Amino acid sequence: MVACLSIPVFALRAALRGRPELRRRPVALAPEPGAQPLVGACNAVAEGEGIRAGMRLSEALATCPGLVLVEADEAGAEEAWEALLRRLEDAGFAVEVAREGCVYFETAGLERLAGGLDAALGRALAAVGSEWQPRIGAGTRRFTALAAATVAPPNRILVVDDDESALFLEPLPLDLLALTPDRRRELSDLGIKRLGQLAGLPGGSVADRLGADGAEAWRIVTGVEGGRIDGRPPAEEIVEELEFPEAVGNELTLGKALGALLDRLLARPERGGRAPRRVAVSARLVGGGSWRRALTLREPTAEPERLRLALRPKLAELTAPVLALRLELGELAEGVGTQAELVRPCGSRLRERLSSGLRQARVGVGLDAVCSVVEVAPWSRIPERRAILVPRDD
Amino acid sequence: MVADSGTPGDSRSARRLNEPRRALVVTRGVGGAAAPVNVNRLGVERVREEWRVVDRWWTEAPVRRRYFDVVLESGQHTVVYLDEETGGWFTQRA
Repeated sequence: MVACLSIPVFALRAALRGRPELRRRPVALAPEPGAQPLVGACNAVAEGEGIRAGMRLSEALATCPGLVLVEADEAGAEEAWEALLRRLEDAGFAVEVAREGCVYFETAGLERLAGGLDAALGRALAAVGSEWQPRIGAGTRRFTALAAATVAPPNRILVVDDDESALFLEPLPLDLLALTPDRRRELSDLGIKRLGQLAGLPGGSVADRLGADGAEAWRIVTGVEGGRIDGRPPAEEIVEELEFPEAVGNELTLGKALGALLDRLLARPERGGRAPRRVAVSARLVGGGSWRRALTLREPTAEPERLRLALRPKLAELTAPVLALRLELGELAEGVGTQAELVRPCGSRLRERLSSGLRQARVGVGLDAVCSVVEVAPWSRIPERRAILVPRDD
Repeated sequence: MVADSGTPGDSRSARRLNEPRRALVVTRGVGGAAAPVNVNRLGVERVREEWRVVDRWWTEAPVRRRYFDVVLESGQHTVVYLDEETGGWFTQRA
């Protein structure tokens, strides 16, 4: 069986840890500094008051004057998520992370050891702890597991057998599929609002009418997706932290501190000559917030200059003076050889890799590195008026 | 005239594709409409085509351009135009 463990609005839950007084009040994540004034994830109380994630701040406050806005604790959330994954791994599960708050794992290896499927899944729930209100869905396919986790109550398990799978998915909304808003609207205009309606259409017609996105969604719903779970390799990272006697906002000083942390980390004996594939710099900020930026290197490297070049521009994104700076080297790699692929990736896996490549391009070249060409007036006689380049956010 | 790659826009804003770039063009004879003989220090072998674009005359930014599709001595095809509003020469993929 494939299981999906889901913790809805994980970032908000992480930000609310240690603030139990806010549990019964309408709370939402405050807009990110410098970004559009849109509220982030909100709790059930806020939803009950009519607040939705992505709502304009002014509209949200007008709808619910008592709404409490909390700063996102990026570094805290990532730390908590990593700790949670490690607890799952310690319980024996090889996890594949879909995103923060959603993880997949296979139960086959642990069912006999734990004494059955329910016992194995109970072990996963116990490993996470009830304070996060996790919910687990299990099925023979990844998508069924995700759908089951979405409808399961907090701290509960929902198992969907293979023969019940189609019946279970049929009434669920299309929101479970990673479709673009345009595609979802198009389907809605065609009267297709439930997974069962989409699954009932002929695959060829779906591909013809809705393109690759629609065909992929149809494959997922009808069960033609690849369900293999790739457990992440055992996490290994080395960390160094530097506390400042007083808050530092000067980029030059922070750059020097980053250089010192990097030198200390590279000199650590447990690195054993291995090069990191992932590096992350995080900071504790004045006022109690935190900040974190992680990046995955195209190739593992232990060259201080290359690492410095990759990390230094991140410091410009700091939003407040820093009390402590922390640097992590992760996914230490023995060799730098490249492994050829026997089977070419396709579908969602290919899209994941493409997204990862685009993220790397953005990190290396800048936010404008990846753009879409949008035709605005293809009929124009003036060439520069025919199309524009729009930076992509995905 | 010196080639100008244009001013960088806002780092997260949309920008036009195929913006014209300034070109260094030498023409034969007198008058802006004469055919180019040298584009960005490369001689022109042949003028393949010539056309005019007059548009947006009803706005405050009218467009009056005379385009030349030329073959350079390097064998490269390029399109240059004379902006009849400003008198400047530009290259652009037409």
